[in-house]
Amino acid sequence: MNRRSVLDVFFGLASGALLLFLVAPLAITIFSTTPTSFWDTLRDPEVLRSIRVTFLAALAAVVFGVLTGVPLAYLTARRSFAGKRLVHAFVNLPLVIPHTAAGVALLMVFGRRGVFGQLFAPLGITFTDTVAGIAVAMAFVGLPFLVNAGREAFAQVDSEYELAALADGASPWQAFWHVTLPQAWPGVLTGMLMMWARGVSEFGAVVILAYHPKVVPVLVYERFEGFGLAAAQPVAVLLILGALLVFLLVNTIGRRQGSR
Amino acid sequence: MSKHWPTRLVLTMIAALLIGCGGPIQAPEPTAGPLTITPVLSTEPPTATVSSAATLASTSFRVPLVVFAAGSLIAPFAALEAAFEAQYPQIDLRPEYHGSIQVIRHATELHEPIDVVATADASLIPMLMTGVNDPETGRPYADWYLRFASNRLALAYNKDSKYAAELTADNWPEVLARPDVKVGIADPRFDAAGYRAFMAVVLAQERTRQYTYFADMFKDQFVQPVTLFLEDDLATVTVPEVLETRSGAHVVLRGASIQLIALLESGDLDYAFEYESVIRQHGLEMLHLPDEENLGSAEHEADYGSVQVDLDFRRFTTVKPKFRGERIGYGITIPSNAPHPVEASQFIAFLLGPQGRAIMEANYHPMFETPLADGYERLPAELQALSRPAGTP
Repeated sequence: MNRRSVLDVFFGLASGALLLFLVAPLAITIFSTTPTSFWDTLRDPEVLRSIRVTFLAALAAVVFGVLTGVPLAYLTARRSFAGKRLVHAFVNLPLVIPHTAAGVALLMVFGRRGVFGQLFAPLGITFTDTVAGIAVAMAFVGLPFLVNAGREAFAQVDSEYELAALADGASPWQAFWHVTLPQAWPGVLTGMLMMWARGVSEFGAVVILAYHPKVVPVLVYERFEGFGLAAAQPVAVLLILGALLVFLLVNTIGRRQGSR
Repeated sequence: MSKHWPTRLVLTMIAALLIGCGGPIQAPEPTAGPLTITPVLSTEPPTATVSSAATLASTSFRVPLVVFAAGSLIAPFAALEAAFEAQYPQIDLRPEYHGSIQVIRHATELHEPIDVVATADASLIPMLMTGVNDPETGRPYADWYLRFASNRLALAYNKDSKYAAELTADNWPEVLARPDVKVGIADPRFDAAGYRAFMAVVLAQERTRQYTYFADMFKDQFVQPVTLFLEDDLATVTVPEVLETRSGAHVVLRGASIQLIALLESGDLDYAFEYESVIRQHGLEMLHLPDEENLGSAEHEADYGSVQVDLDFRRFTTVKPKFRGERIGYGITIPSNAPHPVEASQFIAFLLGPQGRAIMEANYHPMFETPLADGYERLPAELQALSRPAGTP
């Protein structure tokens, strides 16, 4: 055996251990659920309501993310300005803050006595125990994924195309809409999916701002705490399978982008 | 480390995978209890033997004593942890806090190795532990318990709470029923304070003969309704299996009453049903409920029995809990499968002894003069000396 293959064997073993560590809990959880209990879970009105709330709130968070995060991603990819590093740091802050702490911070601002809470109250929008509150928490923890992916995507688009469009008489808006965005779109879409998936899986920040209506992770936690492992398992499986599906999608988009 | 540590580790990892960053109610550091307890602790400095043992223990093995307790015991138990470990440096007390029903389910349904179970409702122990056998040993999870402390249910609020100026012990159900008032209640499926809050509202409508209080407060608040059925001598509240508040509801539910405190402090709640000890520990405004409604008066014990809360569980558990109103009695026991029963008994003896009593008192938590033991003959001897059999004068 040459020296290189010895290294490969060792690294292969280490990687195998890691894959086992990642896959075993998920696989065991999935396979220890009986098809009957999984089918019952799929028809459980509480679960269905919870899935609806979770998906919709995550979607609302992504819409907010696109409206605010895509412009920010474009600016940080294309322009240089004072404080750009600080902006990067702020965008990535939610990645390092414990999500329960993020929940507390959001409650201080979006709670009934918080600045935004009071601002939106006259419009009939409140954030504690509402879908709006869930969306806010999901947006806070998920935005870095969209902004970072978007920035990468915009940075990869050759600015020559934009300049050419401008030289040919296109307005900056037209250049953005018809030249830059279409080329960056797969990256932005990946960011949107990642943000959506992050939102769907969020527990810590959501549970502090809005315990009700219950998102799926809160439902899993409540069933685990309140009714035991057997009750939590099928819902957890549903969440894991959902996450797998999203990652398949993200990968497919990524491959298409790569093959361009 | 205990022989159960791999199980605990695996359980923790699975839990972490399942629930992200969710976890039990976090206790403050032992020093974070009310400041008033400091003199209690400092009056009894550790003896020379204890401090030499402490030095020894810091470099060697400490017995991990796992205590699962009701959330309303967080403050006194955090202080108790410091005092107990000073006296028993070879023991590492590991308290974890949940709603009272949850405390027991961790032992009986999640099969966690637990040394001491302390709940805010002693009746949960015979209902959910004595009647259920541990599949590993074939024995009931518990065959004795002590009723050791009481409490009173009250309303916590703050100065900015809506209509606080007009709140009285007579009109509170009417004030709390107003649609713009946010009322916090612990989830009755998980926490004794939750079903006791329902009981208090029913008792209030019986005392004042205003038979719409319950409906006024809870109608249209939940996705599946909580119902009240009135008979001549018994009012029965039925809690559905799926309990979730409607969007825009003025009732706010959380898994344990202690989780409502932060929402009260942030102004997201106007009022919350809490125990008096907890309200005083947190320095919140308090409305004392009349004795007929606070579930803490010995004289009104018979009246409390006129209300019952049924939990309508079908899918996930074999027990269908029914709670008949009675005077609040905190219960404590050592599960039959406890890894460290000797140390567990030492801890309970410490709690019931002079130091434990002083700490509970400093935290405004009333204890019974002599704890009442159910299954007295099965108690560890040192606990028999500190209690008397239930039903004896």
